[in-house]
Amino acid sequence: MTMTVRSVQKSISHIILLIYVIVILYPFLFVLFSSVKSDNQAIASNPFGFPSSFHFENYYEAWVNAKISVYFLNSLYIATLCSIATIVFAAMASFAITRMRFWKLSKGMYQFILIGMLIPSNALLLPIFIMLMDAGILDTHLALIIPYTAGAIPLNVIILSAFMRSIPSELEEAAVMDGLSAKGVFAKIIFPLTIPALVTVFILNFIGNWNEFLLANFFISTDELRTLPVGMVGFRDTYNTNYAQMSAGIVYSVVPVMIIYAVLQKQIIEGLTAGSIKG
Amino acid sequence: MNKALRSPWTYALFLLPVIVLYILFFIYPMFAAFIKGFTNWNGVEAARFNGLNNFEKAITDDKFWSAVKNNAYFILFSVVVQVPAIVFFSLLISNVKKLKGLYKTAVFVPSVMSTAVIGILWSFIYEPDIGLFNLILMKLGLQPVMWLSDPNWAMFSILITNAWQWTGFYIVMVLAAILSIPREIDEAAIVDGAGSFMRATRITVPLITPIISVVIMLSIAGAMKAADIVIIMTRGGPGGATDVMSTYMIKYGITNIKYGYGNAIAVLIFVFTLILTALYQLLIARRIERVEYS
Repeated sequence: MTMTVRSVQKSISHIILLIYVIVILYPFLFVLFSSVKSDNQAIASNPFGFPSSFHFENYYEAWVNAKISVYFLNSLYIATLCSIATIVFAAMASFAITRMRFWKLSKGMYQFILIGMLIPSNALLLPIFIMLMDAGILDTHLALIIPYTAGAIPLNVIILSAFMRSIPSELEEAAVMDGLSAKGVFAKIIFPLTIPALVTVFILNFIGNWNEFLLANFFISTDELRTLPVGMVGFRDTYNTNYAQMSAGIVYSVVPVMIIYAVLQKQIIEGLTAGSIKG
Repeated sequence: MNKALRSPWTYALFLLPVIVLYILFFIYPMFAAFIKGFTNWNGVEAARFNGLNNFEKAITDDKFWSAVKNNAYFILFSVVVQVPAIVFFSLLISNVKKLKGLYKTAVFVPSVMSTAVIGILWSFIYEPDIGLFNLILMKLGLQPVMWLSDPNWAMFSILITNAWQWTGFYIVMVLAAILSIPREIDEAAIVDGAGSFMRATRITVPLITPIISVVIMLSIAGAMKAADIVIIMTRGGPGGATDVMSTYMIKYGITNIKYGYGNAIAVLIFVFTLILTALYQLLIARRIERVEYS
């Protein structure tokens, strides 16, 4: 008797959860189907179903018209470069703060950087815009590279410092006895030991930079310099009468993320949620 | 001993890049906003101090308050609608044995997508003629709705999209907290004859209140930061109906080159966020901890 009540309960849970999963995943399927339909008419007459004929030329047109390739490469190199730059700088600072013998000063430095987590980033958008304009680098990739690198610093320092603090000090003491300098201790001992945390932080930074929209939208106006999110929105605004082609554009920008997510989902989920809690 | 780790030069060198970037992109802009917020700077003439004029202008502008109201809607929607849904779905997932991994992976998908893609995808769903929602409404014989261009519906439509994007993220977070509760507690309750509803409301939920509190805190911070989704879906329209504080600031500060006024709005965003965070910590977060220890 209890068994049946329980299994009914479980089935209801599964049904509700499956509905939720459909609500999440169906829009992606809708876009995938729409991307191979001939035109708006074909989408409107058969919105939910499988396409009756496949129009893969939508993908070619979107790739050419939307310059997806240009935006894609811009995003890829900016996101990668900034993510690496931030983790290298943050790892150096975290090493100085947690492992070098300037405890009092380090405590102050750490608190100082912690303030950054309290500042709402949107409030800084306009002053940074003006600063970059004065520096004459607005509408160049530097206008994204430098703020992206800087923006992730507080969170990266917090996560990496927490990790480095947990490394036992006997290791570096032995290394110093053997004649290693502070730089050597960092490069040969602490940095390699921190790699698990560095991977998490890299994913965190990369997804953040890859998806960033506000700065990319307002700091860059030359079309060829745009990143993928801004390029996609521009594409939508230009070709919003052709939903089939627009859907193909969406597929281009979703598929790479889906692939990365499928491979690294454990690290991505852990990294993103841990990052937000610490933040 | 340990001389190597006491080298002041190395210490300075290691901290230098972070400190320089941090001061340039966090500390300096904050001060710059505070200073320029009290000027009439428009980018052409030199900035002139004009006291509280900008702030007076903001608090007497209906559009500014409409933007503040929309930020409040973001917060209300996430606390009243999203948080209960998050807890409900987390409990469901934690209770099933099969497919747990699949559910977790699936609900998290929107969190890794860019807001740009999600905004575009949803503006397609909301499209008046061939969008998914209106097609469903018409199939049911109902009147189509101009989701994003009707001032009565636009904000609600954005809130739905925003919830769709982020609910899964928080579900995964709360789920992790539920799964870290020691099994013995639940098993003891089963032995005592507590049903699953009883266990959920009397044991699991009280034990995860700290993480729910974090979720609410993050939702408030997220609500104050909301801007990209509004710009992508409606650009603050129709007629400013969906503007939030950040998009209002951008409209004046960047688009209309009223730097002084824009910076004053930046200061207000900063102040409002701090007040909300402090109020939440003092009034609610503390109380939650007290309950926990009592």
